[in-house]
Amino acid sequence: MKQRENLMKVIVPVLSILVAFIIGGIIMICLGKNPFQAYGFLFSGAFGSSRKIAQTLVIACPLIFTGLTAAFSYKCGVFNLGGEGQFVMGAVASIFFVTKSGIGGIAGILLSLLIGAAAGAVWGAIPGILKITRGLNEMIVSIMLNYVATLFMGYVYTTLLRDGSVPQTFAIPDSTKLAVVSKSFPVHWGVWVALFLAVAGYYFLFYTSKGFKLRAVGLNSTAAFFNGFPVNRYVLFSFIASGAVAGLGGSVELHGKQLRLMGGFGQGYGFDGVAIALIAQLNPIGTAAVAFIFAVLRKGASTLQTGMQIPTAVVDIIQALVIIFAVAGTALLKLPAIRQYINSHMGKKEVTN
Amino acid sequence: MNAFFNMNFLTELLLSTIRMATPILFVALAETYSERAGLVNIGLDGIMSFGALIGFLIGYKTGSPTTGILAGALSGVAINMIYAFCTIRLCAPQIVYGMAINIFAPALASFIYRLSFSDTSTLIQGVSMKAMPIPVLCNIPVLGPLFFNHIPLVYMAYLLVPATAVFFNSTKAGLNFKAVGEFPKAAETLGINVVLQKYIACVICGALAGIGGAYLTICYTSTYSEGIVAGRGFIALSAVIFGRWMPSGVMLACLLFGFCDALQIRLQLLSPSTPYQLLQMIPYLCTLFVLAFFGIRKSGPKANGQPYYREER
Repeated sequence: MKQRENLMKVIVPVLSILVAFIIGGIIMICLGKNPFQAYGFLFSGAFGSSRKIAQTLVIACPLIFTGLTAAFSYKCGVFNLGGEGQFVMGAVASIFFVTKSGIGGIAGILLSLLIGAAAGAVWGAIPGILKITRGLNEMIVSIMLNYVATLFMGYVYTTLLRDGSVPQTFAIPDSTKLAVVSKSFPVHWGVWVALFLAVAGYYFLFYTSKGFKLRAVGLNSTAAFFNGFPVNRYVLFSFIASGAVAGLGGSVELHGKQLRLMGGFGQGYGFDGVAIALIAQLNPIGTAAVAFIFAVLRKGASTLQTGMQIPTAVVDIIQALVIIFAVAGTALLKLPAIRQYINSHMGKKEVTN
Repeated sequence: MNAFFNMNFLTELLLSTIRMATPILFVALAETYSERAGLVNIGLDGIMSFGALIGFLIGYKTGSPTTGILAGALSGVAINMIYAFCTIRLCAPQIVYGMAINIFAPALASFIYRLSFSDTSTLIQGVSMKAMPIPVLCNIPVLGPLFFNHIPLVYMAYLLVPATAVFFNSTKAGLNFKAVGEFPKAAETLGINVVLQKYIACVICGALAGIGGAYLTICYTSTYSEGIVAGRGFIALSAVIFGRWMPSGVMLACLLFGFCDALQIRLQLLSPSTPYQLLQMIPYLCTLFVLAFFGIRKSGPKANGQPYYREER
């Protein structure tokens, strides 16, 4: 039974991705384009050369971070929708540090990443504290904080750290850029940090007692409370930890890819992270995999636009359809009628005992 | 500083408070209907953005703002039916599905916009609704222009508030509706069709949220741009909590948030030297502070947010 459930957990997302691609293809036919050719463009844009694969990985990097943010908080039963704000605040804190402190090199990078993670943690702690002390809905609080963070970043790049006449900040010093693997495979090592975090998160959630307690709080906080688990402490911890992951992501994005803050930095990453985590059924390693698929879509979208004049928004629709199908599929399996059907038709042996 | 105490400034401020509160009010009422039937819909932002686009597009093509608003309402219903089917029939988690709508609807909206206006990069000017002064009443000094010289949608929004209150508290249909959100199983035993009520709630919710979105593009700016909704769906959501699920309370909360929005726009005009981003934070920060100080622990409908398994004992 357990095995079959695990199998379903993989089948549902894979199937939803396939169906979304098929519907995306139908939309392309309606636009008068050849879907096979279009998907050919899409995949060659994402995988065509080692350089392109590297770029896809770099695009996946922030998505892995925000996806882990969402997965980590939902596992504890709290909906941290503030990944975007925490991501942005991490980057803002980092750019202040590297432009004002003058510390360069490896030490500068490490300190800056730490400060970014800390800023994200603080920004993530706010909805947690308000939830615990005032009983506020964490979703609304974290969304409001997203807007505040984005506006604050705007204030930073148009006023506080503005670089001349262009509304953007100074670039970070060269010595604090994240190193890349090689010239022909230009992946900065922030990607490895993201992948490491995914594995570490998986290990923490499923192989440690703290992770077990955190999941227990998420599944049934009342039961966890009566078992003596410090529910509030776990809730706050998951907010802080998920905020730190997002903040670190923002900092990595700044040091590895964008190198300066400007309009649109981090835009949409929070909600994309939520979508990715949900499709991956809140599994950290699955999150990294789905983030990579999203990155493939993004990277391929630009080739789709230039090669076939298909608006990049078609990719957004495919992404959105994936989440709609994945969530519906999971819910479908939980319906009493469907459960009964599966039990009686496929798992006779398990049912009899 | 004098400008602050200027009568003109004050009336302008109040006037735009009423106008800015209108879309939030539509959407907050939408959410009130939804939550009264036990469905927490956090996809309001998405429904609004889709309503905003379709309203704009149809208004632009037909040249009639009324048709645009109607189209906005219909498109809101259409989008919300995805949410309705998945949460009512499939019992999918409501929060997750709200998020799915928030991601799906804006993507669809921007896709349709790009398909429709792909060859132009300039802002397309759409239709805008004309004000409809109420005869006689609009001639009262000060109060006339404040309350009786608006576009029809504004009257509609504020008239919906007492109508909703009467519906929920004094009609059988309204009480049945509320029963579904409080204790669906008991409601079912009394012969109320819970599933149907929930679908009706979703239709009302989608229509009102769609109108709220179309208001933004037809009555407020008469252009469409991505991100035009700017979190108003979530502000409406907090207005429902702050207004304690009662129409009058929800209206007061919306007026407060509308006031913050109006204030930040006025302040931007008054003091161009202040970084505008700091002023734009006002509505969001105000929402946070209001919730933090007056927010209450659970006091909404009892079965709010829970899936309803009909066959389950």
